[in-house]
Amino acid sequence: MLDQIKAQLDRIKAGGATYVDCRWIPYEESNELTMWNGNLKEAASSSQSGVGIRVLHKGAWGFSASSDLSSLSRVFDRAMDNARAASERVTFPIRLAEKDAVQASFTSPSKIDPFAVPLADKVAFLANVDGMLEQPGVFQRIGRLTFVKKQINFVDSEGSEVEKNITEVFGSIGVIGADAGGATHERSFVLGRRGDTRGWESIDAAYFADQAERIVRELNLVMKAEQCPVDDRSVILLPGIMYLQTHETIGHALELDRILGYELAYAGGSFVTLGDFGSLRYGSEKLTARADATLPNSPGSFGYDDDGVPAQDNVLIDKGILVGAITGRQMVEEANAKARRIIFPESSGANRATAFYRVPIERMTNINIDAGTDGTLDDIVAQTERGIILDGDRSWSIGSNREQFHFGCEIGWLVEDGEVKDVVKNATYKDDTLHFWNALSAVGDASTWEVKYVDNCGKGQPNQVMQLGHGVPVCRFDDVRIGE
Amino acid sequence: MKDRILQTLTDLRSYALGKPCEISLFYHEEASALMRFANSAVSLNTDEHLIRLEITAFDGRRRASYEMITDLGKIDEMKAGVDTVAEMVTHAQAMAYDPTVPAFASPFSDESAYDPDLAAITNAEKLAIFNAAVDGVETGEILLSGIFSSGVNTLAQISTLTEHTQFFRTTDAQVTVVLAHGTEKWEVQAEQSAQRKSDLDPKALNEELAFLVERFTTEPSRQLALGSYDIVLGPAATAELVFFMNYIGFNGGLMKRGYSCMTEEKVGEQVLSPKFTLVDDPSRRETFPQRRDFMGLERGPFTFFDKGVFKGFAWSQDDADEFGAEPTGHTVGHKSLVLEGGCEDVGSLAALAAAPRDKDLLYIPFLHYMNIVNPTQGLVTGSTRFGALLLKADGSVVVPFNVRLTQSVLDLFGEKVAWLSKQTVAYNSSSSYGARNPTAVIVPQFVAVNDIAISHANASF
Repeated sequence: MLDQIKAQLDRIKAGGATYVDCRWIPYEESNELTMWNGNLKEAASSSQSGVGIRVLHKGAWGFSASSDLSSLSRVFDRAMDNARAASERVTFPIRLAEKDAVQASFTSPSKIDPFAVPLADKVAFLANVDGMLEQPGVFQRIGRLTFVKKQINFVDSEGSEVEKNITEVFGSIGVIGADAGGATHERSFVLGRRGDTRGWESIDAAYFADQAERIVRELNLVMKAEQCPVDDRSVILLPGIMYLQTHETIGHALELDRILGYELAYAGGSFVTLGDFGSLRYGSEKLTARADATLPNSPGSFGYDDDGVPAQDNVLIDKGILVGAITGRQMVEEANAKARRIIFPESSGANRATAFYRVPIERMTNINIDAGTDGTLDDIVAQTERGIILDGDRSWSIGSNREQFHFGCEIGWLVEDGEVKDVVKNATYKDDTLHFWNALSAVGDASTWEVKYVDNCGKGQPNQVMQLGHGVPVCRFDDVRIGE
Repeated sequence: MKDRILQTLTDLRSYALGKPCEISLFYHEEASALMRFANSAVSLNTDEHLIRLEITAFDGRRRASYEMITDLGKIDEMKAGVDTVAEMVTHAQAMAYDPTVPAFASPFSDESAYDPDLAAITNAEKLAIFNAAVDGVETGEILLSGIFSSGVNTLAQISTLTEHTQFFRTTDAQVTVVLAHGTEKWEVQAEQSAQRKSDLDPKALNEELAFLVERFTTEPSRQLALGSYDIVLGPAATAELVFFMNYIGFNGGLMKRGYSCMTEEKVGEQVLSPKFTLVDDPSRRETFPQRRDFMGLERGPFTFFDKGVFKGFAWSQDDADEFGAEPTGHTVGHKSLVLEGGCEDVGSLAALAAAPRDKDLLYIPFLHYMNIVNPTQGLVTGSTRFGALLLKADGSVVVPFNVRLTQSVLDLFGEKVAWLSKQTVAYNSSSSYGARNPTAVIVPQFVAVNDIAISHANASF
């Protein structure tokens, strides 16, 4: 098959294309199980295979995809035709940043192939957890397991050839209860990184049992709690909400395609401009953020992106100053040209597509916040006069340029004079992005740092869902409005 | 092609009859194309032709499914899928209720929402529509973004319970045109939904964009003060709120799971404005309707709110099975929601701006990234985008920076509703996650709501 693909690459290139690449996915299998109140509502598997072809012609992209490999030449021709049509309206002819041709492979770390585990075992695991969640105060119990296995073969007209073998495991549990007034509340747990591999071995029954006990206990606290006050306080974000804060107001804001206006028709832009790189004080000196696709064992680590660029660990924000972005080959060339300076010396290797039938776009890798020197959660609480500890994402809404946000959390604990006090329900917080990150006043040490997985990041048109990670510590931000 | 699809399903059914369980087959074929614009160029031009086959096995209270992306010629691969799911279901855990297997009392075929002209639209025609839409309003500083998404969607079904098939084929297009200032960062938008090629009207897009660009380039802009405003929602904003009502309002299954602002006790009660009538009406071809649901139930107009009185929940078959309710014909990919127009004769933004008024009106065309803060309260939050205008009582216009609303849908569609325009428009609310599922909501051109609080106001574009 690869030989046929290479022959087509050569044919299209000889026909006038500037660049051609192909992602051939011989298999992508998934297995999704959802148990709701003891009912196995979903026991679903899926499989797909196909090719996605990208052609660059006269500075414009054309893309075509098909699962029918018997007509490979037709798919390549359609991609070329689409590029020709697109080249009728070009304002900044697309160029791709230089890269070395690579022949490489990558395999995500996994000990026990989840697809070798009998369905009955997976169902039994969910049933067992469901039984633990069936406790007083809980009227909805949800357990989910998702397994993905795929091979991606990337070949381009510049001589690169990459084979990636990816295994993903995602798991979550949740409970819903109603308070005395009939209002519902929820508490959930989403499996993050544990250990060095993420095969079936990461579905640890004892660990899930601990989490089940915790979320049920905390749900019952929330249901009996008072309403979160409307107030201006310090907010202490645990990793269960800190990951989302990072995702929405650093990750998406620093995608270079958004900064350059390529997502204005849908996802939105960014308050960041090209002139900001190297000078914008994004956050306090305690903030160092990075895009680290080399972090072992995370969905945001994939060896090589869908431009064939190796995974990298790049600083985005260095002690509060904006220095980097999430980039692919196309955008760095355009950004440097428009800025009339070299901001980005090369692609940061973050161009990915969700499936063979979608085109690669800039996606987050592992967008992490470096651990700090402000100690443990207890240490941070002890140094907080009036605050609230927040955890669990319940809702999130962000301005179209990522300039402001409103988050709802599953649980909040008020902090008074350095001590944890009452739990509150319906906890929310909101702020302007730059004010918020500049109000970062404490960053927890390595003991508070966790890698959270995200399996549902949406972006692009046609829409794409991507998997990634966030390594984040406990952080405190001052003077934030809560309770609205 | 239709005959080949149905024959393939029939052949697969024959094979599935040999299994010790019931099998249903759901065929989904999409020919999708998307031309995307950014920075005044075509930034991407794609097409995908995908065939998905979802096979579901039922064994008493056990159920399992298997979906593949395949091709009509791969009958052996499809049969292997039947084998897989028949094996899977034996390992599934029995549920506490009996899931209903789709069974069709008679054959059904509906291609009434298929337009061969739209199906055959070319790259050149799409480009010409965009060029006409921005003629005279796109400049070196005011840059074009947008999409022209179009496709043909084909669905077909059969099961081992009956030999009858269901077949649906529709065409759809979604046109979104955004003009954004390259440095000032303001952005305006005009959109159209099309089921037929003749629905496309670049002149109307151009007129709306020209009106907005004129306002944004000549009128003063400013940060709004926090507080209450009388607002007027445009079609996109109203459609988004109706979508959320569909989710946390009248969905029976979600209500039972505690994810709704409506309760069974509220059926028959006046819960929204008397001006608010919301119907699922599959007779409206602009909504890419499904006139039978995926269980074979005939679908006619189904009223959720009649002059503000809550008439009842939508029950899909599976939710009805689980919670002991009667299915309401809502086992569908999407509803055909129609929010009926009112009495106010306001058919365009220019007419709204020109109409006399005794108070300031905040026009909100679009609500970006809306999310549910509290489902029980119906509390949602989102930010304005794409061309909000403050229409001053003295007739002048101010361009406000974006603001955030955190409000209950029960208030936004409740007694604070001032008026609805009698003119309605189909708003295309399709997403392109997963399988193509063209969706549109028919809403009044304008919905006016008084005394709505703004909780956050941006200090710049």
